[in-house]
Amino acid sequence: MNADRDLDVRLAVYRRLIATAAAPTAGEVAAELGATAADVREAYARLAQRRLLVLMPDGETIRMAPPFSGVPTQHRVIVGATEYAAPCAWDAFGIVAVLGGRGVVRSRCEQSHAPLELRIEDGVGADSQWRYHAAVPARRWWDDIVYT
Amino acid sequence: MLFFRSEEMIEAWCRSHAVARGGVATLDQLWRLSAAWNAGRLDHDPRRPGPAQARAIFAGAGLAGPFWDPESDAFD
Repeated sequence: MNADRDLDVRLAVYRRLIATAAAPTAGEVAAELGATAADVREAYARLAQRRLLVLMPDGETIRMAPPFSGVPTQHRVIVGATEYAAPCAWDAFGIVAVLGGRGVVRSRCEQSHAPLELRIEDGVGADSQWRYHAAVPARRWWDDIVYT
Repeated sequence: MLFFRSEEMIEAWCRSHAVARGGVATLDQLWRLSAAWNAGRLDHDPRRPGPAQARAIFAGAGLAGPFWDPESDAFD
């Protein structure tokens, strides 16, 4: 597969994630693109090197296709009738942004576990006392992106 | 990258986890940051923001300083 075909694989992953809220298997992407699962796995590895996907240790299960999560998380995003998982607070907002700017984010306060339910429509108001906290400085985010 | 219901909850969490306070943003700032960062995400050939673009995106959300600078060695 060439680099352009890798990007076809990437977009096929996003199409499937957006439609189903589940990360596709390499076989499912291969069937859509008329490729082999082995080709898709190799494309996944190259996309991960470019930080466009994050894979599980098995090398083929998608952990993150930012801002979407391929695995369940505490950060849930409802857009239309579909509920997505986000890897982190930032990406929860990112899902709403890439899907048109309207949605509901459900998460929690990490200290008190108080629930957060935030409806986003035409942006977010400036009056909320809720905050976002990043513990890792920007320079170190990709040292361990799952922890970040 | 987590949500907290107040600044006080961030301080309490940092103390209980022995973690230094990091970068903090309001939800409005986070929205502006996420929207700008993910622009073009579904393009065929997306470009991850380079350091200068990242600094500009953070600045657009009112976030500046070494914590948000992808090239800063202040935390090495």
